[in-house]
Amino acid sequence: MKRIIASVTDGKGFDIGLVLLPLAFLFIMSGLPLVYNLVMSFQEVDMFSLGSFVRPFIGLKNYADLFSQSETRPILLNTAIFVSASIAGQFLIGFGLALFFWMNFPGASWLRGLFLVSWVMPGLVVGAIWNWILSGDFGVLNFFLRETGVTDGNIFWRSDPNYSLWAVIIANIWLGTSFNMILLSVGLSGIPKDLYEAAELDGANAVQRFFTITLPMMRSTIGAIIALGLIFTLQQFDLFAAITSGGPNNASNVTQYWAWDLSFRQYDFAKGATISVIMIVFVMLASVVYVRSTRHEVRG
Amino acid sequence: MGIRRYAMLGAFALASLSVPAFSASAEDVTISVWSLDRDIQPAPNLINDFNKLNSGIKVEYRQIQFDDVVSEAMRAYSTGQAPDIIAVDNPEHALFSSRGAFLDLTDMISKSAAVKPENYFPGPLASVTWDGKYYGIPKATNTIALYYNKDMFKAKGLDPSKPPQTWDELVEAARKLTDPAANVYGLAFSAKANEEGTFQFLPWAQMAGSSYDHINSEGAVKALDIWKTILDEKLASPDSLTRGQWDSTGTFNSGNAAMAISGPWELDRMLKEAKFDWGVALLPVPQAGAERSSAMGDFNWAIFSNTEHPEEAFKVLEYFVSQDDRMFKNFGQLPARSDISIPPTGVPLKDAALKVFVEQLKYAKPRGPHPEWPKISKAIQDAIQAALTGQMSSKEALDQAAEKIKAVLG
Repeated sequence: MKRIIASVTDGKGFDIGLVLLPLAFLFIMSGLPLVYNLVMSFQEVDMFSLGSFVRPFIGLKNYADLFSQSETRPILLNTAIFVSASIAGQFLIGFGLALFFWMNFPGASWLRGLFLVSWVMPGLVVGAIWNWILSGDFGVLNFFLRETGVTDGNIFWRSDPNYSLWAVIIANIWLGTSFNMILLSVGLSGIPKDLYEAAELDGANAVQRFFTITLPMMRSTIGAIIALGLIFTLQQFDLFAAITSGGPNNASNVTQYWAWDLSFRQYDFAKGATISVIMIVFVMLASVVYVRSTRHEVRG
Repeated sequence: MGIRRYAMLGAFALASLSVPAFSASAEDVTISVWSLDRDIQPAPNLINDFNKLNSGIKVEYRQIQFDDVVSEAMRAYSTGQAPDIIAVDNPEHALFSSRGAFLDLTDMISKSAAVKPENYFPGPLASVTWDGKYYGIPKATNTIALYYNKDMFKAKGLDPSKPPQTWDELVEAARKLTDPAANVYGLAFSAKANEEGTFQFLPWAQMAGSSYDHINSEGAVKALDIWKTILDEKLASPDSLTRGQWDSTGTFNSGNAAMAISGPWELDRMLKEAKFDWGVALLPVPQAGAERSSAMGDFNWAIFSNTEHPEEAFKVLEYFVSQDDRMFKNFGQLPARSDISIPPTGVPLKDAALKVFVEQLKYAKPRGPHPEWPKISKAIQDAIQAALTGQMSSKEALDQAAEKIKAVLG
């Protein structure tokens, strides 16, 4: 008895307790909803059986139905385009800015802080503002493009099926760039200066220094940012709700918005859950890749 | 032993707690009401007035958000925590009544002195009807009509006292009124991919003899073709596809559209913002003499079937109904009743508009009623969007919608 108490207060039992506590928290807060979601995707759910756990089990029917719908394929493709274009844009511009501010001119850190304003703003507010900027008839962006001679007429960013997905991507890149920049700046400041000094003495030019020192040293930071970017873009919902509502004709619909639309607009909770399960699988795959790619960096 | 003692203690504690609660409810019955009305809208004010009457019924009010009405109500009902009374949007009403979630009020209405079915417009009444029985009482109603800018009509040589009567006249007028150089579109409306799109399109289909269960009939195809013409010729902003009615009518108010299709909820803002002379006309019909139709919006009252006090809850509804005559004056909402004449407000533009809306209300048809309305509506929205973005012809798009709707209807 005494040994057990001693172990719990100061020993192995204490360690186990430390592990169990967050595990229990994780299980209750994230695990249970995930399991519930998974179970729901195998059931027939309508709004009146929403409150009970016992519902007719229909196996993979939800999945089969989902993939027989004509809009499924374009929406999955849209999601892939949205995620990759958003991450690429956010990362490249963010990296560019981080390198720019790294030059440490007077006021650099101050300006860098100001950039965070875009990240602090709620998605719905950002969406509403971009809604005006992208507006077809009176949007600032169209005015700018016309006056600079890039386009002749107005582009209907939100209503033209060829542009609507890109309208949301533009807004999302704007929203996420500063976050990328800040994390990359932190990574950049972690690179020891003497590496560059040594390279410079050996006659390496700026481009060589970037590709042989900066990039390899930033590997784990970049991995983390891409993984976080994937999670944030797959979570991005507000901008769709505010700018295009997934339209026109699903041209800018993505899985996360579709799941919500099915669950809470059409009250097809099982299908909504099914899409969420598919998304979870993708996120899991991505995080496995991320963990594996950064593991040796962490140990080294 | 120990557990049993605790259980007994617990039961005793519970009993002692519930006894006083019980004696209080013997005097006053508490009825809970959920609706989306804000403090300047009917529900909370009517409830305040009702509570002042000290009728032995105490009403408690909870405001819910528009987007949450159905999900909140479902959650509450399926966990046995539903309120006694709720206000739901009329196309959602059948969803609840068909599942037995709402109380059948037919008998109580037939005995009631305040609530008489024959006083109501047929559209709103149909939306609370399921299987020949009444499962609710219309709370208010609204519909859509054609707003037009009289000054622009004059400037383009059109007669401001003769707004377009038919679809062809509407398109013709829109062509004349569209002026890209001045940033003016002929018409503003909403083909958005949500309930608003269905709300705006169905009247057109219905005027041409179609209905949601025959959405691919010739009339509906023609209606969608006209919409496509309007968008293809840029007589309306391409953003009509993604813009709701409120934002679309905003462009009318700012003088960037010469006509707009929307409802009476626009009136107060228009009076404030529109710096021109405007009027309201009935929705144009396919050809002269064709059947009129319009959309029907707004909410219904209903009593949840698991209420413990159906009689008292109905008394509260009777009180609400008895106050219908001050709905417009005090709260700017149109009662869903044909026996109440709305007194003039003293604002000439508003009074003229009201007259048109009241006339248009006679032709208002409910969406459905069908328990799976959201799915039907989605099929129609998809068809509208597919046709207007040029991805399908109107016929193909509506055929596809008809197929989806047929699957829902079974």
